[in-house]
Amino acid sequence: MEYILNGIVQAIKLLLSGDAETFSAVAATVKASSFSMAASLLLGVPLGFVIGYLRFPGRRQIRLVVDTLLALPTVFIGLMVYAFITRHGPLGEMGLLFTLPGIAIGQTILALPVVIALSATTIEGMETGLRTTLVSLGANRRQLLFTSLWEVRHGILAAGLTAYGRVMTEVGISMMVGGNIKWHTRTITTAIALETGKGMFSTGIALGLVLLLIAFAVTLPASMLRRK
Amino acid sequence: MSLYELKDIVHDYDGQPVLTIDEWTVSVDAVTGVVGPNGSGKSTLLSLLGFVAKPARGEIRYQGRRAETFADSVRGKVALLPQDAYLLKRSVYNNIAYGLRFKKHAGVDNVRLRVHEAMEMVGLEPEAFARRPWFALSGGEARRVALAARLALQPEVLLMDEPTASVDATSARMIKAAALHARQQWGTTLIATSHDANWLADIADQLLHLFRGRILGSGFQTLIFGPWQTNGDGLLTKALQADQVFEAHGHPSDMNTAVAAIAADRMELYLDPQRIPAPQRGLKGILLHLNYEQSTGRVGAAVQVGDAMLNVYLPKSQASHSSFAPGQQAWVAYDPRSIEWY
Repeated sequence: MEYILNGIVQAIKLLLSGDAETFSAVAATVKASSFSMAASLLLGVPLGFVIGYLRFPGRRQIRLVVDTLLALPTVFIGLMVYAFITRHGPLGEMGLLFTLPGIAIGQTILALPVVIALSATTIEGMETGLRTTLVSLGANRRQLLFTSLWEVRHGILAAGLTAYGRVMTEVGISMMVGGNIKWHTRTITTAIALETGKGMFSTGIALGLVLLLIAFAVTLPASMLRRK
Repeated sequence: MSLYELKDIVHDYDGQPVLTIDEWTVSVDAVTGVVGPNGSGKSTLLSLLGFVAKPARGEIRYQGRRAETFADSVRGKVALLPQDAYLLKRSVYNNIAYGLRFKKHAGVDNVRLRVHEAMEMVGLEPEAFARRPWFALSGGEARRVALAARLALQPEVLLMDEPTASVDATSARMIKAAALHARQQWGTTLIATSHDANWLADIADQLLHLFRGRILGSGFQTLIFGPWQTNGDGLLTKALQADQVFEAHGHPSDMNTAVAAIAADRMELYLDPQRIPAPQRGLKGILLHLNYEQSTGRVGAAVQVGDAMLNVYLPKSQASHSSFAPGQQAWVAYDPRSIEWY
């Protein structure tokens, strides 16, 4: 119990003192997760809309694949991305291994099925009367799409937050693709794994609490948006 | 020129036909009522006329030209008010203003004027209701907001699916008045569906009967559904209640599903069965209500005989000083030869 309390105290000290290592890990985490969330939302929401809204041959099979990918282990994603971007891999010349962009690519692969599946579920749950209303009020196809998305914004927001939760807390991709390099690719989660491995439980807990604070900082504005 | 021309329309859900119309036209500036029981295809018909759905087969012409969803010729001009109208997740004002913002010359002041005008037409005080969110409305208020959103567009056609179902009496009155006002002010063509033929007969110039996706004639009439039996005289019979049997001449192809239709002006109402002339038959029932049809100036009566509702016009000579009153026992007389079969 003592090391848990020490962890809380140390978390406050780390943040207030502006500890460089901590803030480096925070910055790496925020950069990688921001990029991966932007990419997965830009790609995932329209794809989720297509799967949830349109009826086309193979739709059910595609949905099955997407749902299956929800269970992808992070270490497996990390392994596959590593295989592609390692020096001898097909994308080795891009120099992405042990970089934040490399981590972001892996995290995008992790988040994309979550965004697609939950967006599709939200769209499928959309009231059938919405389309009738929008067409009756004179909306064209583009207006129909954007208004429909706005009407189900809470569901889309939930999809984004769920994906964000997975991305922020993953270790496997960051470790395998990023390499946990201090000052460069050490994220909060890889730092926790490292500190715990060294027996520095308090530091691990402190970093965990920092991670929670970041998650709260993201969730709070989303919660305020939900009220509108 | 007809406003709508429907030809060889077939619409289905998962391969099951739900609407089959060989030919039907709607005139400009008419008030058309579509009556039929649940599952008769009324909502499907309105979806097609509103260009919300596309028929599986066949052609719908609007103002002489083929039209489809999102076509410029119909977008913002043909407005459908479904039975369960969906309100957008925003305020009453923004719900009503939504469609207006797509229109040209949609300045802020013009939009505000049109929104307030539409709200007043449906009896919603702008000061009290404009800022209310969509979830803070009663069922009747929500229906009126949905109607206002369509009226604000000053549509050429307003399609209403069971507009007064499940709403309070005040809302029902406001909805009816607003729709008729739109017709008077902008020449909006109205097409409304209901399972209540008497409500529709009160406002409609023409009445269309739908049953199992097919048109069963038009006008104020009575429909008697099968199955039919044959009696010793070769007449087809249907027991409406224990001692009241409807008899008809004819040879429908399917005795189980055939529908007998008789126009309201082919039936007569009597208080004394002794006065019914031969060879007319008489059916005893209870006079439920009398309706004055503004469009025709005639008085229609609805008489319940068992589960059937018989619709009769009172002769003009009787209408003004009639001794008929709701709740009375009355006899409906008709000639078994004046039946049309579907």
